[in-house]
Parts: sequence; structure tokens; C-alpha cells
Amino acid sequence: MDNIELLESYNSYLQEQKANGKKIIAYLTHDNVPIELFEAAGFVPLPLIFAGKDELMDASHSYLPPSTCSYAQSCIGYFSSTPRTHEFLDLADYILLSNHCVSNICVSEILSNNFNRKRLDFYVSYTRNSNALKYYKLELKHLQKEIEGITKERIPDHRIKEEIIRHNNFKTIVEQVSKLNIPGSEKLDIYQKAILYGPAIQAEIEEIISSYKSNTKNTNSTHPKNVIFTGCSIFINDYLMDLIEDAGGNIVLFDTWIGRNYYSQTFSEEVIASLNDPIDLLTKRFENNVYGDHCVPDSLDNKIVFLENYVNEYHKKYGDKIGVINHIIKFCDHFSLFQSYFKEKLQERGVQVLNLERDYSRSIKGQLSTRIEAFMEMI
Amino acid sequence: MSIFTEDIVNFRSVLQLAYNFLAGRDYLKKKKFQERKKLISVALPFSDLVFASGAVPVFPIRMEQFKVHSYLTALNSATNLIGWNLTTKLLSFVRKFDVLKILDTVLDDVIHTINDKYNELYDLGIDHGISSDFCYGITGLTGMFVSKGKNLDANINFTIRCSAWNKYSETLKQFVPRQIWVDIPPRNIDNALELLTDNVSQAISDLEEITGNIVSDNSLNKQFRIGNQIKRFYKTILYEFSASDFYPCNPATFSEILALLGLSYQDYNSDNQRYLESFSYLVKEMRERINKGIGMDVSDMPRILLTPVFGGWEPESHEILYELGARTIYADWEILNLLEEISVSKNSNPVEEYAKFLLNATTRGIGYDQEALTDSYIETAKALNVDGLVFNQVFGCHSISNCYSLLRRKIRNKLEIPTTVINFNKIGDNVEQVKTRLGAFMEMF
Repeated sequence: MDNIELLESYNSYLQEQKANGKKIIAYLTHDNVPIELFEAAGFVPLPLIFAGKDELMDASHSYLPPSTCSYAQSCIGYFSSTPRTHEFLDLADYILLSNHCVSNICVSEILSNNFNRKRLDFYVSYTRNSNALKYYKLELKHLQKEIEGITKERIPDHRIKEEIIRHNNFKTIVEQVSKLNIPGSEKLDIYQKAILYGPAIQAEIEEIISSYKSNTKNTNSTHPKNVIFTGCSIFINDYLMDLIEDAGGNIVLFDTWIGRNYYSQTFSEEVIASLNDPIDLLTKRFENNVYGDHCVPDSLDNKIVFLENYVNEYHKKYGDKIGVINHIIKFCDHFSLFQSYFKEKLQERGVQVLNLERDYSRSIKGQLSTRIEAFMEMI
Repeated sequence: MSIFTEDIVNFRSVLQLAYNFLAGRDYLKKKKFQERKKLISVALPFSDLVFASGAVPVFPIRMEQFKVHSYLTALNSATNLIGWNLTTKLLSFVRKFDVLKILDTVLDDVIHTINDKYNELYDLGIDHGISSDFCYGITGLTGMFVSKGKNLDANINFTIRCSAWNKYSETLKQFVPRQIWVDIPPRNIDNALELLTDNVSQAISDLEEITGNIVSDNSLNKQFRIGNQIKRFYKTILYEFSASDFYPCNPATFSEILALLGLSYQDYNSDNQRYLESFSYLVKEMRERINKGIGMDVSDMPRILLTPVFGGWEPESHEILYELGARTIYADWEILNLLEEISVSKNSNPVEEYAKFLLNATTRGIGYDQEALTDSYIETAKALNVDGLVFNQVFGCHSISNCYSLLRRKIRNKLEIPTTVINFNKIGDNVEQVKTRLGAFMEMF
């Protein structure tokens, strides 16, 4: 299924949900948003995981200066440009304002103020110390109250826990995709779709996994240039994946929100059984999110250690030395600032790194292609 | 710039503040090696805990060796011998002997050397690998740590809503291994204050461990009292003198003084008592000059609030505005609620009071969202009763620069004063465009 089909089917899905009286909450995606709370209250989460383009970025300039991250600009563009490229965005009733980065705050605020969407707030602490966990819990309870204020119904704890378990099972299934012997582009399609729909498509993903498991073709031998993809996620309708595969690359691990940071955030059965309060479970997930790029002061070091270990283990297992593509969307506060430090530290450990900084303009495509090809030749 | 020399020579306090800013390196060396004090870096005006712990706060640019005219070295020796009061007389004396040209150069350095150094450190930040897409402030600060970070014993970080700031703070451990963190909750809900109070206590424990000193309620309150007095003096200059129809000096010099206060306020030039004395004397000097009618009638000059400048701005701006017939006010710390006093009442818990100050500044001043931040701009512009607002849009700033479209709408609706935006990337890069913009802006008056 290509992206147009995916978006059309998603449009129909949201229309259907809306027709059934469901409310839709759009949000700039990040790994600390408690979507289980929304679903427990009968809301449909709409993650804004759509890549940008020139027209969308341009359309944001009445609201934001051009030196804002291209993803943030494009999110504004999706709502402000006409005709709409994604009509289903009109179905969103609410915008979740969160503080994954400061642009997340600004964009959510602009969307709420200028495009007539009610705003829900959910702020996340900047560290993960014991007080930060307590604060995260406060925010969860606040959000729960806000949602209950809308629905005029209390969300029972058991409903939240059921959703947590449902999402937990779903993520466990999605994790299996990462182990399949299929090209990175196919994995990415599945991850993107999984984040869009959530557990609603669990059966479909199980079927895909089952069909691929019988596939014995060794992707690694046809794509010898295996790489890890880290940094900013690849969003729907981005051409970047094509450039990487056209250059002979194959992504074996998506170390991004759309990828490992999504499916790895699961609980063991023991943890689920030991924590009765679902809010405690969601807080536990935040506590365990040691690789999330929102928090300071250790997320970068944790990431570097993880990647080094992964590369070494991969080498032991397959005999291949794999490189790392660090994808940086221009003006991204989280990944752009320490790109040289990141590269230096991994290179000191013998890992080759390509810092691939870009915006969503068409004109940069050729340059990106050349840089990816050169990197692939190096590895 | 030499047109302002006349004013500065007559301001002993300004000379002293400027000298203490620039002579930081020698002062800090003395503190570190002779007095065995710990140097803790701070940026943004968050130095209270460091002072209370008996350590020395350092805004890291002050560890630099500034290219200062050799005359200042002589001045330093003179002050050691005869004190600042006589030094001013000494300057006046030297002027009589027709060495005004030398003096001009010295004072020119005092004002401009900081900006030259900023640019130099910005370049160092870029050389170190900071993307040129980042704001001038963060890149310059990184350059400061590349250059002199090794001299520091620790660094104290406060989380704010600017994600680039938090990430920049995370990277500092490559220069200063010992990091102290104060995680400020993003907004004030439920018992957020209690959580922050606990985080402040933890930071105090870290400082105690580093310094070997005990931080008592008394030492905190003592620091807050000093800080509160400084804040009162600062507000007197902003609200009383800057609003006056008669200035104690040329309005461009007045702006230079505000710029110098903005910079030095971050670490109180590493000596809270000395800074308080200088501030006190500055207010006294200004008042005396106004009372004596020494200065300039500025009643026909519109008052322009130029903000934000703490992350970098074109320092020619106030001269351009002056030439266009306006006076420029810099009041960033007031806008960001960082000039609010900290309660030292008898039954208060100083740790909690400091937490209140931080929470108020970050939620109302810096703002947990753009609405709060822009409200703070509007409130301050209204309180200062300014005639116009120039917004300094810093390239690569995603936290404050992004609020201009919202701010412009609010100004139109709530203040009805002229406003414009100027762009800033690096000092000296954009002077002609700034001139054009400000020229068009001033036509509205």
C-alpha cells in the first residue's frame, strides 16, 4: 500500500469514527503522550506524522519565522494551506499542546488559536528524577480530569488499564516487525501505519508478520549496506527512505519515535500485575524511557551507549559493521545541537556516522542523495 | 561611540561596573587560587544559590582575557591604592592633560570589547560544531565553555521551556563534569511548588558537597536581601529614571548602561556586595545629576522598548534609534519576571520562597506558553509606559522569536503603540537592515 492509499484509508477510518460520535484529538507526536487515556475515554488520537514540503512550510510563515523546524512549519501548513492535502485534519476536535520541544508548544498553540481547535495541555518534566515522575503523574491526572470534563464521565481505572494492556500487546506485535527479514522501507510503512491506527489494526499486522515469516529471502545479502537510522523520525510521504534504498542502503533499525522508541516501551506482565493504578503504569513508562530525546541530562549518553552496543552485537551476529544515519530536521532543537558531539563520540568507538541535516524542500533532494551515496560507499 | 565618553567619565559607578565585568579573569583567579573558592558557572540571572553556598558564580564570558587598553591596567593599580572615588578624579585629571584620545579609546573598549568577545566566542562555538542554525546566545555560551570551561568547578543548570537551552545545558558536561540541575516544573499545578522546593534543596545539597559549606536559612536570606535591594535599584532605573523627561546623561549612554546592567546582572560580577554598592551608587549618581540639572532634556524623544536582547542583539540599535530621535530601553529581566523580589519574612522558608520565585519567572515571565510570554511583554510595556516596541527576532531562537506574530496582534489590540521587528544573527552582520527598519519605524512617531 503506498502512502496515498494509506492516507485515503485513514481518512475513511476517521470519517467513520466521527460518524460514530467519536471526538478526535490531534497532537504533534512524541513518545510521552498517554494515548491510552484518550482511547479509554473514547477519543481517537490523530498523530501528526506527516512529512512536509515547500508549499506547507511557506504557508506557515505568517505564524512562524522560517528558522523554525521544518516539521513544525509543515504542521501549521497542513492546517493553513488550501486546498487541504489531508482533509481528515478538519475532523480534529482538539489539539493536544505538549512540550516535547518548544516548537511543539508554539505550533499547538497556533493551531488552537487560529484554526479553532480546543486545546488540551499536557506538559512533561524535563528530567526523570523522582520529583519529575511525581510531576508527570500530576499532569496525567490533570489531563484525565480535562478529558472527563469534556465527556462528563469519569474514566474508570479499569478502562485505562485495559487500554494500556491493549497497546502493550500491540507494541509487542509491532516489535516483531523489527526482527523480520524485510527491507527497511517495508518496516517503516508498518510502523507508520501502526502509529496512525494503533491496536485497531493488530490483526492486520499479525497477518503481515505471519506472511513475512515464511519469506526466507535474505534481505541482508541483497542490501549489504546495512545502517541504523536515528535522530528525527521519517514521516509519512517523505522521500528519504527511497533515497537511502536507491543508494544501496538498508535500514535494520529505526532508532526513532516511529520505530524502536514506540514499540520498545512495553511492560512485562509482572509490572502490569504489580501496579494497580493505571496512572502509575503510565508514569513507569516515562521513568523507563531513558532514550527519549525530551529529557535531560542523560538521554544523549544513553543513546550513544545503546547504539554502540547494538553495532557491536550486530557485528558479532552477522559479521557486518553497520553505520549510523543521524537524521536531523533543520532547526530541530533536540538533534541538531549536539550532532557533532554525537558523531564524534560514536566515531571514537569505531562507528561511522552520517549527520544528515535537511528540511523538506525539493531543492535539497539531490544534495541529500549525493551525501547518502557517498556514505554508503564508505561503509 | 566616543560621543558618550563625556557621560561615562562622569559616572564613577558605571566605570566601576564595567571595570568589574571586564576584570573578571584576574578577580576569579584570585578567588580560585588564593581564596580556594569554587567557581560555578551560571547563565541567566540565577546566581542566588551559588552566592548562598559561598561559591563564586561566573557568567563564563567573564573568565576571558579582554582586549582592554593598557590604561585600564593602570587604573586597576590606581584603584587598589586610592579607591574608586579618587580614580574618577584621576580620570578627570588625566583628561585635563589632553589625553582625551587615550581615554576615549579606553572607554570605547569598555563598552565594545564585550561585544567583540561575544562574536569571537560565537565563532568558537561554531568551530566546535554548533550548527549555525542555532541562536547567537547558545552558540556564544558554548564558545565560552570551549574556551574557559576547564576552570570551573561546576555548572548550575535550570530547566526552562526552551528546548535548545535544556539540550545545550546537557552538553555542558563535556566541559564541566560536575553539573547541578534544578528541574523547574513546566507549569504551576497542584503541588508543583513542593516538588520544585525539593529540587532546589537537592541543588543546595550538591553545592554544599562541592563547597564544603553549609547553606543555612540565614545565608539564603542574606543573599535574597542583597538580591532584593539590587532588584529595587534596577527597577528604580527602569521605572523612575528611564521614564523621566530629563536624563542624567545622553540617552544612548543611558541605553549602554542598561545593556551593561543586563549583562552583569547574571552573576553580579561575581561579588554580590560589591555589585550592590555599585548599583546603589549608580542610582545615587543618576539622581544627583538629575537634581543638579546635569544631563539632557529628553521629553520630546519617544521611549522605545527594544527586546529581547539577552540572547544577542545588534548593539548599534540604540545609537541608531538615538540618531533618529528616540531613546531605547532594555528591560529583559523585568519582562521575564526575574526582577521580582524573594520574600525574606520571618516565618518564611527561604528554599520555598526561592522555588516560588523560579516558578513565577518560568511560568509567567519566560512563560509556559506563548500566551503567557506575550502577556508578560504587554504588561511590562504598559507598566514602563513606552511609546513603541522593537522586537529583536534572533535567528534560530525557537522559544521567544516565534511569539512575534502573536505579540504584534496583542500590541495592536491592547497597547496601540507602533511596533516593528528587526532580525539578528550576529553582531555587526545586519546593521544596514536594522537602520532601514528602524528608520521606517521612527516615521510612525
